Amino acid sequence: MSMIRFDNLCKRYESGYEALRGVSFEMDAGEMAFLTGHSGAGKSTLLKLLMLIERPTSGNLLINGKNINRLPHSKVPFYRRQVGVVFQNHQLLFDRSVFENVALPLQVAGYSQADIGRRVRAALDTVGLLDREKHNPIALSGGEQQRVGIARAVVHKPKILLADEPTGNLDPQLSAEIMALFKRFQDVGVTVLVASHDINLINRMDMRIMRLNQGQMEQDGVSYGGY
Amino acid sequence: MAATKSRARDSGQRGARGQMLSRVDKWRSYRQHHQATLKSSTLKILGEPLQSLLTILVIAIALTLPAALYLSVENIRQLSGGVDASAQISVFVKKGARESALESLTTKLEGLSGVASVTYISAQDARDEFESLSGFGAALQYLDENPLPDSFLVQPLLVGDASRLVTEIRELKLVDDVQLDLEWLQRLDALLDMGRKLVLALGAALGLGVILVVGNTIRLAIQSRRDEITVVKMVGGTDAYVRRPFLYSGLLFGMFGALVAGILLTGLGFWLAGPVDKLALLYQSQFSISGLGFSGFVTLLLIGGSVGLIGAWLAVGQHLRNIQPR
Repeated sequence: MSMIRFDNLCKRYESGYEALRGVSFEMDAGEMAFLTGHSGAGKSTLLKLLMLIERPTSGNLLINGKNINRLPHSKVPFYRRQVGVVFQNHQLLFDRSVFENVALPLQVAGYSQADIGRRVRAALDTVGLLDREKHNPIALSGGEQQRVGIARAVVHKPKILLADEPTGNLDPQLSAEIMALFKRFQDVGVTVLVASHDINLINRMDMRIMRLNQGQMEQDGVSYGGY
Repeated sequence: MAATKSRARDSGQRGARGQMLSRVDKWRSYRQHHQATLKSSTLKILGEPLQSLLTILVIAIALTLPAALYLSVENIRQLSGGVDASAQISVFVKKGARESALESLTTKLEGLSGVASVTYISAQDARDEFESLSGFGAALQYLDENPLPDSFLVQPLLVGDASRLVTEIRELKLVDDVQLDLEWLQRLDALLDMGRKLVLALGAALGLGVILVVGNTIRLAIQSRRDEITVVKMVGGTDAYVRRPFLYSGLLFGMFGALVAGILLTGLGFWLAGPVDKLALLYQSQFSISGLGFSGFVTLLLIGGSVGLIGAWLAVGQHLRNIQPR
């Protein structure tokens, strides 16, 4: 069964702007894909629909076989606990330590202190920042901040990992490292969808690429080689 | 509020099933979060002492005013309660009434509605008492006959009933005269009634003020923590989780305010105790003012806490919904 399924999805904003016009695609559990297209093509809207920040105007959105179109407001938090999100501006909180930032998804889900400590350190270890847990994220470099953001997105072992321009502000070397990190989560069975306009980088990754153009799926396939 | 919280908790348990959290773990961490939130909210209030102190003082003053008025009314009522005993109706019986007639009069008096008790004082008893109390005992020796009549002391249940009883008793056979002097007491009673209504009105107005003050403070707190709220909502924090720290802040502001109000009232009590005692002495009264007391203090804390909570609840309901991840 597919983990993510878009079924002829349309999203029209209240302003009348049509961000998505009949988008359909499927992603299997443990699959990784890139979402690309120039700005305004609908990448962000597509991710927002997956995070339930926005609701579709028409069409069906199925996660793990379940239609989440009409998921009530009160259930949204529990849906979001199955999804990890990495933002371009990483949205870290600078009034607390790296550890506390990463611990947030576990705290809201009600894990015990001991569990939180273990899982946060495991996540920080994965992104290579275990020695920075007591630092304030403001004292870290851009690449390190993004890795803290990734640790926070995966600390609760989500089924789906979404990333919106995660390498937007990073140099090619760091960007490649971040992408390699996403690949590692795919390897352990997480469904990973990364929105990026860094064509050079994603072409090198040899992965499925979905290209949006003016709210429609223009191309869906593998860059070089392929299946 | 309890309903919303328990609903959030139920769905929390349902949603957590996928994450392999047991019900016990869930409850433990729920409690832990409450404790942690209480602690961090307290620290936040103490962390901005000047700002917090201003809010707390405004709340304290708003609570002190109606509470002080309430205590005044209660004290005056207590004072008038002491006088209630003298709200007796003296019923003097015509001379030469037979014993059986007196007995039937007693029954009639006791049968009147609103009568608490009837005490019979025979002419002889009255004479003995007069002799021993007035010091004119020797003078009485010269009289052939006891000049005092038989009498009854009728104690009304309510001061307000007294004048009606006087009219009714006057109608009775054998009754020579009825005496009552408590118009001033009735006036005081009416004044106290007004005072109590004033306490309610003032309390309601200032309570509304506290709600607005707390609401505004919480609104500012919400705005300054906008980023945090966005992230918490994004990583799956429920509405209940997000609003909890703000509700605790409101509760704490209200209770701290009530605490300061309690201290102010206690100070006021001590300050007034001296003059009041002096005044009481001049009136040969045993009266001394009673302060807030322990139960009053607890009530004040509860009122302050709930008013703060209501203020926070209103602010949270109005402003948290607007903050959503983008």
